[in-house]
Amino acid sequence: MKSYLSVFRLRRRMELQYRGAMLGGILCQMFFGLILIAVYRALYDSRPQPFPLSRVVTYVWLQQAFFRMLVASDPDLLDKIRSGGIAYDLCRPLSLYGFYYVRILAQKMMGSLMRAVPMLLFAALLPDGWGISLPASPAGLLLGLTALCLGLLCVSALENITMGITMRTLDPRGIQGMLNLLMMTFCGNILPLTLFPDSWQPVITFLPFAQLLDAPIRLYTGEYLPEFAPRVLALQAGWTVLLVLLGLLLWRRNQKRLILQGG
Amino acid sequence: MSYIQVDHLRKTFTVRRKREKDSLTREKQQIRALDDLSFGIDQGEMVGYIGPNGAGKSTTVKILSGILTPDSGSVSVGGLVPWESRREHVRHLGVVFGQRMQLWWDVPILDSYSLLKDIYRVPEEAYRKRLDELAEALQLGPLLRTPLRLLSLGQRMRAELCGSLLHQPELLFLDEPTIGLDSVSKLSLREFLQYENQRHGTTILLTTHDMEDIAALCSRVMVLGHGRKLFDGDFNSLLSRYDTARTVLVRYEDAGLVPPLPSPLSFTREGDSLKVVYSPREIPTADLLACLQQAGPIRELIIQPQNIDHMIAEMYREMAL
Repeated sequence: MKSYLSVFRLRRRMELQYRGAMLGGILCQMFFGLILIAVYRALYDSRPQPFPLSRVVTYVWLQQAFFRMLVASDPDLLDKIRSGGIAYDLCRPLSLYGFYYVRILAQKMMGSLMRAVPMLLFAALLPDGWGISLPASPAGLLLGLTALCLGLLCVSALENITMGITMRTLDPRGIQGMLNLLMMTFCGNILPLTLFPDSWQPVITFLPFAQLLDAPIRLYTGEYLPEFAPRVLALQAGWTVLLVLLGLLLWRRNQKRLILQGG
Repeated sequence: MSYIQVDHLRKTFTVRRKREKDSLTREKQQIRALDDLSFGIDQGEMVGYIGPNGAGKSTTVKILSGILTPDSGSVSVGGLVPWESRREHVRHLGVVFGQRMQLWWDVPILDSYSLLKDIYRVPEEAYRKRLDELAEALQLGPLLRTPLRLLSLGQRMRAELCGSLLHQPELLFLDEPTIGLDSVSKLSLREFLQYENQRHGTTILLTTHDMEDIAALCSRVMVLGHGRKLFDGDFNSLLSRYDTARTVLVRYEDAGLVPPLPSPLSFTREGDSLKVVYSPREIPTADLLACLQQAGPIRELIIQPQNIDHMIAEMYREMAL
């Protein structure tokens, strides 16, 4: 366990080194946040919706703040797979899946925290109707944070499956492109999931993508009431376990048929 | 049964290649990387593993490390089957793949080391002592706090080596460990490996194209070609088989002098020196020197042994590799 913790810590430290990327990311996400909010404000001006605008704005800011959690692959890991550096990782008395999982987890956690904190501060300072609102209740905040942690575990499991598939195809672009499309759409990054038609809700909120950020945000905004939280958290945990098991299976099979090319 | 016991090991790779240039169809070709390979290595041995490119050396090392699963045959290292009990097996194993990286690119190498310490569960005290020892042998002192990406190739190699040795493995696979090292580092690495082997009884399998490494370190050598073992035994006796020629360079006071040479020898001119290649088995060195001296006063005379790389090349040629 200590070894995985060390891997986690080192990867977290490493992420801190990329401050330029952080700054770029923050500016980019702020820009997108402001544009999206401007679009929703225009929409609400011409045709008011049943769903309150302040919630949509909060949803957008939280999505943008934790964007890094969704689509960020560790270039080092992909490189290891392509170059064969993975050979060294196989010479460690660790589970290869676990080793990669904690690295992904550390990167996503640190990467998104580094961006989220300044961005949320910025969003809190914006005037009413543009900025983020307070959580619906203290319970909503706590439950939202819990759900965010589960979402992080879940998205790391998903990412590790991508890695497992990359080991077979040797090129991450196809699978990543597909996954990113699904992520952006069904995580609520392009359009808040709350704005999808009601008839869609049971399906899209059940998908694993909704567990990553949508569920935590809805707990925060009070869209999901605290009474409803156990069900939400259970669904998140269920998906996480399922995705981890799937990943483990994939990795185990990969390891059996692994070939390291060249020298 | 030896510490490392390999029996009838086979591994085939499939290579797909285009039928011809710009063709869309591909053909598959089976390449036998290892073809019925068997050998044993005892604890504490230092064995050189040589062979031309593509002979299957790295494949063997990967199978022995538990990374690859062979098609058939059996391997036992210290009683374990590497690819079946990988995690247990690698705990006491150190590997250096000369052309790959294990340390983290963007962090100081000391951080990578302390991660390795935790991964191999090395106690703090032992780790400190070991790191001091290695840092001195590999001249790493001032580099420890530098991120890996800022190091030169040779410095990086030394850092990588240190990483592989930190947990004091009882078995060490070195795959081209001296790539990119300067002479000083090479010598100190050799010294260190020798020390490691004698002091801790570390078993070492050294794969390299640098014959100086082999000559300095390994008494036993295995030659691999096309996936088959072609030679297994004493390095010097292998060399003596191909070590047939000597080169004499002689420079006379008077550049115009021409020595009478016993047939079938002849000389070539190199600058104002004469070069004679002869085989001591056919013509005793003393006889040849006498002939050379007859011609006149000699200013300088050099007798060169055969270059080790030439001998190995000769050997590969003869074995039709």
